[in-house]
Amino acid sequence: MNHKASPLNRKFWTPGVFVMLVFMIAGFVSIIARFTGGIGYVSNLSTARPWGLWVGVDVATGVALAAGGFTTAALAHIFGCHSYEPIIRPALLTAMLGYTFVVLGLMVDIGRSWAIWKPIFFWNTNSVLFEVAMCVMIYLHVLYFEFIPIVAEQFKNKVRLPGPLALLNAPIDLFLKIADAVAGKIMWILIILGVVLSCMHQSSLGSLMLVAPTKIHPLWYTPILPLLFLTSAFAVGYPMVVFETTLVTSSFKLNSEMSILTPLTRITTFVLGLYMLLKLGDMFIRGTYVYLLDGTYQTNSFIIEMMFGIIVPWLMLVSKKVRQSRKGVFIAATMIVFGVALNRINVFIVGYTSPVSESGYFPSVGEIFVTLGLIATLMFVYRFVVTFLPVLQAPKEVSS
Amino acid sequence: MIKKIIFYSGFMILVAALSMAQVWKAPDQEKAKERAKERVKFIKDYKDEDNILRKIALIEKGISLDDVKNNYFLLDSPIIKEREDHYGPVRFAHKRHAALINDCTECHHYRPKDESMLETTRCSACHQDSFNADHPERIGLKAAFHQQCTECHQEEQNGPVTCTGCHLKNVPDHKDLVKLADNSDAFQVTAECLRCHDQAGEDMLKTAHWNWRGPSPYTVKHRKDVQHGKGTTALNNY
Amino acid sequence: MQLTRRNFFKFMGATGASVAVLPSSAQAWQSKAPPDPYGCLVDLTRCNGCRKCEDACSTVNELPPPIKDVCDCTVFEKKRRPDENAFTVVNRYFSGKLDELDKPLPVFVKIQCMHCQDPACVSACIVGALTKKENGAVHYDVSKCIGCRYCMVACPFEIPAYEYHDPITPRVRKCTFCFDRISKDGGLPGCATICPVEAITFGKRNTLLELAKKRIKDNPGKYVDHVYGEKEVGGTSWLYVSSLPFSKLNFPQLPEKPSPKLSETIQHSLFSYLWSPILLFGLLGGIMYKSKKKNDNPQDKGGA
Ligand code: SF4
Ligand code: SF4
Ligand code: SF4
Repeated sequence: MNHKASPLNRKFWTPGVFVMLVFMIAGFVSIIARFTGGIGYVSNLSTARPWGLWVGVDVATGVALAAGGFTTAALAHIFGCHSYEPIIRPALLTAMLGYTFVVLGLMVDIGRSWAIWKPIFFWNTNSVLFEVAMCVMIYLHVLYFEFIPIVAEQFKNKVRLPGPLALLNAPIDLFLKIADAVAGKIMWILIILGVVLSCMHQSSLGSLMLVAPTKIHPLWYTPILPLLFLTSAFAVGYPMVVFETTLVTSSFKLNSEMSILTPLTRITTFVLGLYMLLKLGDMFIRGTYVYLLDGTYQTNSFIIEMMFGIIVPWLMLVSKKVRQSRKGVFIAATMIVFGVALNRINVFIVGYTSPVSESGYFPSVGEIFVTLGLIATLMFVYRFVVTFLPVLQAPKEVSS
Repeated sequence: MIKKIIFYSGFMILVAALSMAQVWKAPDQEKAKERAKERVKFIKDYKDEDNILRKIALIEKGISLDDVKNNYFLLDSPIIKEREDHYGPVRFAHKRHAALINDCTECHHYRPKDESMLETTRCSACHQDSFNADHPERIGLKAAFHQQCTECHQEEQNGPVTCTGCHLKNVPDHKDLVKLADNSDAFQVTAECLRCHDQAGEDMLKTAHWNWRGPSPYTVKHRKDVQHGKGTTALNNY
Repeated sequence: MQLTRRNFFKFMGATGASVAVLPSSAQAWQSKAPPDPYGCLVDLTRCNGCRKCEDACSTVNELPPPIKDVCDCTVFEKKRRPDENAFTVVNRYFSGKLDELDKPLPVFVKIQCMHCQDPACVSACIVGALTKKENGAVHYDVSKCIGCRYCMVACPFEIPAYEYHDPITPRVRKCTFCFDRISKDGGLPGCATICPVEAITFGKRNTLLELAKKRIKDNPGKYVDHVYGEKEVGGTSWLYVSSLPFSKLNFPQLPEKPSPKLSETIQHSLFSYLWSPILLFGLLGGIMYKSKKKNDNPQDKGGA
């Protein structure tokens, strides 16, 4: 237990940050266009294609890739593998930001953003989306709650607002203290709740498309789609942590966490293998392999997903040599992240065919800008938070 | 006040005068109108016989073209008017159709089951309101007319098949639609028409009435070579 | 981590209770279709393509008037779909047969919402803004809608359209089955009333189904032996009979299984009474309690 997270206190404005800023501005402009001209003004969505990039990427992929939060929490807190604690805070931050941006993406996508609270009062328990929405909503708050101790740790007894705002110092401080104390008390509930809620909506995200049996390509439309979504969320959780930790540690020139990452990938090998077996088994049992050589963009996309997103990285991780090399692990993790992201995109966008009209959908520039803008903002905020809050582990030796 | 009284009294006199004047009306047209307004008792049961038997029955009963009394009917009925009223009634030349087709069973396809009733009963006896829940297979009067007429016209390649081929459009009363101040000038009147009939205005701009240009040898002071017409020198006044 | 023994057993108790109710929740999926809904039977052999139904529909629903010039056949050159400004449209197809003058014989197809018996859109709608009414209409309540467009994703007929160009208050738009009109005694849908040839017959679905089969039986050779909507996705309130196979008329070919059956079955067997989340909660709680005791560590408070 020699870990101690601390703010990085590095220079915030780097060239990379400015690039992010450009994307953020482009996204912001597109969002303004969306809220003045309507969804139809910025997107290629239509009657035949009601869901596109925003749901497929911002929401579905976003939720899947934020799975690092609950998987690491489960590992460290529930299964008591405390050696993983250094990665919990970054994973939690990613999950929190990820879900925040999922909701922001949703706000852009749904037609009546101001009505987003309505599901709290109007229930349709037959609707998969209803369950997903409820879970995401509660889970988001759980995540915020789980994050309170981190904020409190930094600012408790240290709230120093400038000028007249100083009046608020004492109340905010008190609030922080109370919140921290409450959060500490119920933390175990929050952690379990977080895992339960995640399992629920990660799987239900797969059930979403089951209501449209005639529209989803049979390669993906399977009754076990929710199970596949859940296993793939498990499978992508740690690779996502590996992926971002590697990126972050190398971008901030921190020491890499190989000692933690290597055992993590062993778990991943197992879960990913399970996912692979389920997917292959499903394909053989339902006999959908007959489509594989159709050569359409849909089947090709499936093959790419299977090959480069699941089979190849799995084979890589099986090898001990890869597992122990920082580069090998990173490449395998990236491929898994790519595979799961592609899976979500396939299920929600590529595998979807409208029953009557030919809808060759490709996202419009506006849609892409919104998505990129949101991602850039997420990265921006992440950078901001790790710079000023104790999230990442302090470097053991200064290597910059 | 005085103005109003004068206006209303003038109006009263006008109405009285109009109502006193005997307007001539065509007697057969009046008769047809009266007939179209009638509602007859619904015939529930019909005799389901095939077309040949039916022809024989008609011959046996001695029903022939001579029995066709009315030159024409107005195909109209309160049954139809209650639901929709977009078109005027159709003047159906019964005698002419009978003479042309020379087969009553073509339209009078069934007879009432009740033997005491007329052999060739009128359409509206069996076909009344649409979607009669007790007789789901029985089509309504409007559909009966349309199916019978258009199908036959199409098959025979003879007779109108479009809406206005048979109907006059029911032009809505423009009394309340047109909003013009007293003493409006020509421009205001045209503008008011165009308020709704903008398409007609656009179409007008493409017609010869608007675009014509050419020699006008008969116009005073113009010779053959002078180009004249709405498209050039004449006043296009709107 | 404040996981005390007492708290823990409280939760385990709740878990046990929820497992006990489990068997009662595991019933098979049941159709929620109304027993005696209204419907419409569209007889494509009767339709003459006059598009009066489009006119009537836009009048009764206060939509912009349909593409002008009803008798101009150029509107048929493109296949149209119902959209946010038109709940029903008529398209023209050619049968491949010729009439006496060697002109190709057209078949006209009116399309609108099918008012499914077990509608996917209703099952999907996150807030229940779409409901299947007793009288058969699938009704949309804009005051609940949040605009997620999941109904559009779910509909197997690609019917609901969206006001994509309204930035703040867009609505889902689709045929209402003239709900307000048919809810009144003797009320009729606008399109059925106006149709000059009664190509649209309004009535009870069960009656119409018989009527459709009778028409097919009584006119051998006139119809293909298929009442579209009798079995498609579990049955629809609107039914079609036709002289041409429906696949040639751009009707989607659909299974007999109601679209929402699978997702609802999964959803309810997993989540009724929230039994699985509670169970999972208990299970994880147990594991956590165990592992905490094993390496009792006072340091792991907070940190998340
Ligand atoms: S009103 Fe009737 S005949 Fe005319 S297009 Fe519509 S369904 Fe066809
Ligand atoms: S046709 Fe589509 S919109 Fe209409 S009821 Fe069925 S699923 Fe709903
Ligand atoms: S039932 Fe009503 S809303 Fe539906 S197509 Fe007919 S007129 Fe339009």
